[in-house]
Amino acid sequence: MAEEIIKIENLAYAYQTGTHALAHIDMTVREGEKIAVMGSNGAGKSTFFLNLNGVLQPDEGTIAYRGKVIGKKDLNELRKNVGFVFQDADSQMIASDVQGEISFGPMNLKLPREEVKKRVDEAIEYMNLNEYRNRPPHYLSGGEKKRVSIADIIAMKSEVVLFDEPTAALDPLSAEMLEEVLAKMSAEGKTLLISTHDVDFAYRWAERIVVFCGGKIIADGTPLEIFQNEAVLEQAHLKKPAMFTVYETLVEKGLVEDGSYPRVPEELKGVLK
Amino acid sequence: MEGQKHRHKHRHHSHGVQTMDFYAYQSGLRQWNGSYKVLSALLILILCIGLNDIWVSLTVIVTVGMLNVIGNRVPFRQYVELMKIPIAFLVLGCVAIAFGISTKPVGEYRIYLKWFYFYMTKADIWKAIELFFKALGAVGAMYFMALSTPVGELINVLRKAHVPKLIVELMNMIYRFIFILTDVQGRMKRSAVSRLGYIDFKTSCGSFGKIAGNLFILSLKKADTYYDAMISRGYDGEIRFLEEEKKVTFVQIAGMAAYLIALVLIWYIGR
Repeated sequence: MAEEIIKIENLAYAYQTGTHALAHIDMTVREGEKIAVMGSNGAGKSTFFLNLNGVLQPDEGTIAYRGKVIGKKDLNELRKNVGFVFQDADSQMIASDVQGEISFGPMNLKLPREEVKKRVDEAIEYMNLNEYRNRPPHYLSGGEKKRVSIADIIAMKSEVVLFDEPTAALDPLSAEMLEEVLAKMSAEGKTLLISTHDVDFAYRWAERIVVFCGGKIIADGTPLEIFQNEAVLEQAHLKKPAMFTVYETLVEKGLVEDGSYPRVPEELKGVLK
Repeated sequence: MEGQKHRHKHRHHSHGVQTMDFYAYQSGLRQWNGSYKVLSALLILILCIGLNDIWVSLTVIVTVGMLNVIGNRVPFRQYVELMKIPIAFLVLGCVAIAFGISTKPVGEYRIYLKWFYFYMTKADIWKAIELFFKALGAVGAMYFMALSTPVGELINVLRKAHVPKLIVELMNMIYRFIFILTDVQGRMKRSAVSRLGYIDFKTSCGSFGKIAGNLFILSLKKADTYYDAMISRGYDGEIRFLEEEKKVTFVQIAGMAAYLIALVLIWYIGR
């Protein structure tokens, strides 16, 4: 089994207004995992990510990064190694051009100028942003902004990357591009956590799904385990993925043999042969 | 990308500042050193005002205009549109200088209005014309700066000129937020329009007030998310960006020096 990269123990966080956003979260993330974090609005997904990233500090419990418990002084360690791609790309961008924007993270890491430049170039190449290099954020489309916000994190070379609802408000082409980038990042051994409402995406992409409800983790397992668990689906108001339902119906009607669940249409075609 | 450029041009048609911002990014002189451009514009401005000579002013208007149209790729019509705004102010100001009011019949030209005279003297007219062109030349020089240097670069020039960090960082944030807020405001306004929020004057005033109030709350919220996003990328109290180093070439310096000397020569000959 891959090495533990983040270990969360008994994490609790409450906002100043008194609402308990997170209550007693235990979770272990292993290197290279592809985890989808699901749950309805207000279930605590974003708060969980902000804690993981060191923006918010837990009221109780600990977060350990590679075996080292993160204290108040090590928060920058966490911010450096865990990147966070915010849901609204607009609220992540502060510079007046794409290049400056991508350089913000590496500059904060106090890297030498040459290294910053190299990383910015790499990130621009990675996200295919060359023609937008000197363009200001306000002359970019939604999909382009998303790409820049991902490049921001790529330039920081974080080992773990958190995405807060990355597929929301993306057109199909941009969503496809996003999935390609995710595949590429996984191939490079990055650990990815994605919060999403899109069950079809989670089913097709994730190796592991964590379901949040009312600030607690109510289920944690493979997509198959999660989507077969009616009680959890009902509690978290999740629907079954279309591909999943189609396959179950086919099995029920005796049209195919019960076996490995197909995740994408191509796999379903294979099963039907 | 042509389509998109076109769209932006169209969208910003009626907003002077945003049009200028747009042209600064597509300027042909974008790759020139920012400090060089700002310093050149300032020197032209100083000479234009300091030499106080109508031929120098006219030369500056024409040459800087050409620089803006050819170098900064601002379509001629659009450039004229942009110049119209300051021209309107200049005309009003210069008319006020050219005219005088007197109870006695003085000056070369006058209109008798029963109780007093509106009069002009030749010297005053000439002064007004000179002033008009001098100011127009100065505006042209400033337009050259604004149309060739995006705000981000301008801020970098100020940083290099040792303007306090706080001001430089604030400028940067304000610039970014202008666009976010106009965007949000535009969306709220459209949604209000679609619900008949601007149907008559009274409703319009109400809707405008509500949008303004909402914008305030929203900006507070946005500031929070912004701060989180900055913290998450290791912000520690100082905003730093990678700046592209743009070299100044000998030709550029020589060219500008020659131009400035030419202005002085025009002044010297015309004296």
